[in-house]
Amino acid sequence: MLEFVRRNRVVLTSGSLLVISLLLLSAGSRTQRRFDPFAGVVLEGMRPLQGAVAAGVDSVTTAWRTYVALIGVKQENERLRHRILVLEQQAARLGEVEQTDKRLAELLKFSSTLEGPMQAAQIIGRDALPWFSTVVIGKGDADGVHKNMAVVSPFGVVGQTTTVSAHSARVLLITDHNSGVDAVVQRSRARGIVEGALDGGCVMKYLKRGEDVEVGDRIVTSGLDGIFPKGIMIGEVTHVTRGNRGLLQVADVKPTVALDRIEEVLVVGGGAHLKEETP
Amino acid sequence: MIALLLQTTVLPLAAVGRATPDLLLIICVYLGLHQHSVAGALGAFVLGYLQDTFSGSTIGLNAFGMCLVFTVVYLTSRRLWVDNAISKIVVVFMASVLKTMAILALVAVFMSVDGLWQTILGYLVIEALLAAVLSPAVFALLAHTQQVTVEEEE
Repeated sequence: MLEFVRRNRVVLTSGSLLVISLLLLSAGSRTQRRFDPFAGVVLEGMRPLQGAVAAGVDSVTTAWRTYVALIGVKQENERLRHRILVLEQQAARLGEVEQTDKRLAELLKFSSTLEGPMQAAQIIGRDALPWFSTVVIGKGDADGVHKNMAVVSPFGVVGQTTTVSAHSARVLLITDHNSGVDAVVQRSRARGIVEGALDGGCVMKYLKRGEDVEVGDRIVTSGLDGIFPKGIMIGEVTHVTRGNRGLLQVADVKPTVALDRIEEVLVVGGGAHLKEETP
Repeated sequence: MIALLLQTTVLPLAAVGRATPDLLLIICVYLGLHQHSVAGALGAFVLGYLQDTFSGSTIGLNAFGMCLVFTVVYLTSRRLWVDNAISKIVVVFMASVLKTMAILALVAVFMSVDGLWQTILGYLVIEALLAAVLSPAVFALLAHTQQVTVEEEE
């Protein structure tokens, strides 16, 4: 008997413990009260350890969550930065569209004052060398743009076409020293030729010495060269040079068109002219 | 005690849904495999009892489960060779299922908790898998601790 117990002591112990467990369980479920004589001691003994470990775990998890949150904030920052860039680009594009719209509206308004063949064009390139004043427009032969057509803007004369290809044309600006436009002083009707000057402005030459020209006078096209319609603004006189001798005088003219900033122009064919203003 | 501390503080962080790896069960299986003595059986009971104390369940529920697991693992390991890593993992998985089923049976007999069956069954496999995955590391740690203790005693 003792030998049996000795040989099976583990199983017997386990069996006994199983029975004890069932008795504990039965007692607990019957009385609906938690029968646990050692719970107080165990819980109290474990409390400081549990508290310390829980605090450690809590600080580690808090640090981890903070780190994860920081990663989230960083990603959010990058996303917002990207969004700001996109919005800034959109705002810039909208501003550009608004400006273009304004300029085109002015061009359209100006074109309505002219009669004859005309073509709106965009400036797509500028001269590669600083001592020439030419631009390239995005309209050419295929669009009805030919050589020696007047190029104007709502603010005045821009230049004339010199070389034309199928879909683009080079425009010689009035500030180029090779340019010449037949012009008159609007107030006194004194006639001369407006040529480009090397300083980026224009000069009105071949004015008779006796003609009435003053600083501030407006210079307009005469229409006699067969290229520019009559009465288109060229610029204002900024200085008049009369020598002691000679038959002629020279006037410095500042173009009314900001040629270095202009973006859209109107190419006007021969025979075009300003409409008579109706009262 | 350390296992109980970890079970109640750290391991809930590794929970999958409501299923947490049962560290005390893995220790109980280790006792069943390597502690073929009365102390092993008492150890299993104490583990279950502590689990009951800290879990809020009726006292005896987990104690019974642990004792049953210990007994079955002990009897199995006496008749079958379960000393390689894979078989130990399988034993832990089976032990987890056995403990859960035993608890479910006791709940059915002694208590009437609506819906507890479905809840526990829903997590039975996940919990068993978590315990099985964790078991190689715990076994290695326990074996190392035991070896160090034996060396110190010698």
